[in-house]
Amino acid sequence: MRATSWIAVNVFKESVRDRVPYNLALFAVLLIGASFLLGQLTAGQDVKIIKDLGLAAIAVFGLFIAIFIGIGLVSKEVERRSIYSLLSKPISRPQFIVGKYAGLVLTLAVNVAVMTVALYAVLGYLTYIQTPAARSAWDAPGVDPRLLEAIGLIFVELMIVTAIALFFSTFSTPLLAAALTFGLFIVGHFNTDLKNFDKIVDSLPAVWLARGVYHTVPDFSAFDIKTEVVHGLPVAAGYIGTTVGYGFAYIAALLVVSVLVFSRRDFK
Amino acid sequence: MSAAISIDGLTKDYQVGFWRKRPYRALDGLSLEVQPGEIFGFLGPNGAGKTTTLKLLMQLIFPTSGRAEILGRPVGDVGARQRIGYLPENPYFYDYLTAEELLQYFANLFGYSRSEARTRAARLLDRVGIGAERRRQQLRKYSKGMIQRVGIAQTLLNDPEVIFLDEPMSGLDPLGRREVRSLILELRDQGRTVFFSSHILSDAEALCSRVAVVAGGRLAATGRLSDMLAFEIRGWELVIADLRPQVLERITGQLQKTTEISPQRYALELPLQVPPERMLADLTATGARLVSLNPIRDTLEDFFVRRVAEVGEGARAPRKGLDAGD
Amino acid sequence: MSGWRGRAAGVALALTLFGAAVALQVVRDRIYSREQAQNRAFLYVQSPAALRRIALSFDALAADVYWIRALQHYGGDRLSRDGRQRYQLLYPLLDLTTSLDPYFTIAYRFGAIFLSEGYPGGPGRPDLAVALLKKGISSQPDNWRYYHDIAFVHYWQFQDTRTAAEWFRLARTQPDAPTWLEPVAASMLIEGGDRESARIVLQQILNSPEPWLQQMARRSLLQLDALDFLDRSIRPVIARNPPPPGTPYSWQWLVGRGAFPGIPIDPANVPFEIDPATGTVSVSPRSPLFPMPRIGSPQ
Repeated sequence: MRATSWIAVNVFKESVRDRVPYNLALFAVLLIGASFLLGQLTAGQDVKIIKDLGLAAIAVFGLFIAIFIGIGLVSKEVERRSIYSLLSKPISRPQFIVGKYAGLVLTLAVNVAVMTVALYAVLGYLTYIQTPAARSAWDAPGVDPRLLEAIGLIFVELMIVTAIALFFSTFSTPLLAAALTFGLFIVGHFNTDLKNFDKIVDSLPAVWLARGVYHTVPDFSAFDIKTEVVHGLPVAAGYIGTTVGYGFAYIAALLVVSVLVFSRRDFK
Repeated sequence: MSAAISIDGLTKDYQVGFWRKRPYRALDGLSLEVQPGEIFGFLGPNGAGKTTTLKLLMQLIFPTSGRAEILGRPVGDVGARQRIGYLPENPYFYDYLTAEELLQYFANLFGYSRSEARTRAARLLDRVGIGAERRRQQLRKYSKGMIQRVGIAQTLLNDPEVIFLDEPMSGLDPLGRREVRSLILELRDQGRTVFFSSHILSDAEALCSRVAVVAGGRLAATGRLSDMLAFEIRGWELVIADLRPQVLERITGQLQKTTEISPQRYALELPLQVPPERMLADLTATGARLVSLNPIRDTLEDFFVRRVAEVGEGARAPRKGLDAGD
Repeated sequence: MSGWRGRAAGVALALTLFGAAVALQVVRDRIYSREQAQNRAFLYVQSPAALRRIALSFDALAADVYWIRALQHYGGDRLSRDGRQRYQLLYPLLDLTTSLDPYFTIAYRFGAIFLSEGYPGGPGRPDLAVALLKKGISSQPDNWRYYHDIAFVHYWQFQDTRTAAEWFRLARTQPDAPTWLEPVAASMLIEGGDRESARIVLQQILNSPEPWLQQMARRSLLQLDALDFLDRSIRPVIARNPPPPGTPYSWQWLVGRGAFPGIPIDPANVPFEIDPATGTVSVSPRSPLFPMPRIGSPQ
């Protein structure tokens, strides 16, 4: 366990020294700029738009971090052969995989946390400068703790993407891994269309195939409650609970498979 | 005493080709033993299977057949890795870390506490000669030789009983090589076992007690170095100073080879038939001076080239069966 | 992780975890329906222009997706039992679909059909149907089908045969329009009771190069003449000359009375028939003009 956490810390260190801080700075600047700009343009709708923009940015930036660091997690080490000296230390290959994953999740968590703080800061400022009358017209409060629900689900979604990227990274090249991960991400977002195939298609094999794909590909669209939260609509705790549980189970399955693949791999 | 390293029939086949994969035998039934406390040289030309063997021992790759043990535990045993050190060929470490950070990281992986890790890292960086300023720079700024030194340092973090070095001298200047050589000797004096692979024979000659020669994936020879080189003298080398050209002209016919070292200083190669004492007496009578007199033996290189040629490249062709051994 | 036993255990573990994930997914889907939220999310981008940009070069594919969602929305609301058949998102979804792919003919046409379906079973929005079809015309001005469909919306939903016939005429002027459009227009006008306009249309059809169209037009004109004759010259006379109670209506009695000089004949020279009980006069089934077009507004 201790060795695993050291590997995780190392992954975090690498990401910090790489390029990640610039993402955050960019995000913060974009958000603040957008908020002032939009404040001039919209008629009191700036809060909704800032929330929409902020949540979308967290999702998008998080996605890029998850994919681009995730795909290199293993393949870069193997390609550069730093893995030779690492695996000669008393750590097992499963520890290596889990450690790498944990490190990336840690990186994501820090990123998302910083972006969340930036978003709340901007929302706080907007709330402060608005009149109470304008505020009462809002669907949801400016500094809305429920945003954390949406961000939380986004984070679990990113954890799944990371696990997928890591999985592909254990056996394929970075470019292919990125393409496959991104492809799965897209399909996963259109997942519900597959589920509802039976309503528009007659052929039974097609329906079964679509259902099969629906259950196999990660159900990313389920993690998207941005619209609800921004409009102040309720989301059942049970829904969040089962979705998060689904996410964790899926991640665990992916990690086990990644470990299996990685454990028998020859490093040329 | 049980062997430090024991390899038995180790074989590794790779599948090559895109459509119809053919097996490429990188290592063919290697068997050898390394006793504790010795410096063992693992020699062979490039592509002979040296690095394959080391990777099999570190379980970076998996054998097709055969087994190996390190300190009595099967290869891949995580606990055994606590007591060994490994330096890969042309090592690459995380270039965003400093030398200090890298060593501390690895020490942490061994389970040392933070302070212990710091101490060990510092001590080893001193030992391999990386200064206090340097060690705080990121590894991406290091030269190849310095990386090699860091590599050696990380090999010793855990006071290993067995140390595996894959081409440890590569990338080092003569001074660096001398230092590594003395380090290896020091390790032996400390009672550790050193297993190093190299294609530089002079290093092996200087250091090893026992060697193994591999070529084409097979073991060509193994044994004590002195045994392998216990061959007849095939001649004499006479280094003479103040040798006048006329004298040289007179004796040239008897010589196998003449090398001019500097004006009036020559290295003369005498065949076996010519007794060196007679020649020496003749030359000193003319006013020349003796610098040195040495027997010419088979060098390890001669032995090496001969043995490698014997094994030949035929060992690599695809075989009908995949059993180890013939 | 050594040996095949370890690997088998690993695979089993992975499958179990995956099964747990799917189980959770199924449970969640069963309890929490996501249709409503889903559709709201789909219309996250309300503006077609913005969506076109976001879809980059995958407009047509995105159009397909939105088309499928439109269908699902329509079907879902249609089949729903809790009475919330409001079809709120139908027009926006169709609008997005056709903005993404302006040549998506089916989307315009079936969309119009769905939209014009009357309340309570359907949205009851023929105005939106026409708007959608007009959008189709703006992207494909020479597609006669859109004009044809607009004509039918006017015919069925607005009961406006004159406008319908006008749109039919426009349809007929597009390239590759089928020749049966104009006769349909004429029939529509006749049904609507607008014989003047029908006559005008039929006169134009007489100029058509197709012999069967000329024939049909001639026949229709004769039918119209028959109708006019009946309305102007026959029915009023019969109304003024009712038979005494107990006596059936008959030509013999009427001619005997001097109401008519002889048994009236239609323009095809076949005598009209009179119903003995009611006195209703109609064209005889033996006449080549039979059957006559329906008169009155469509049901």
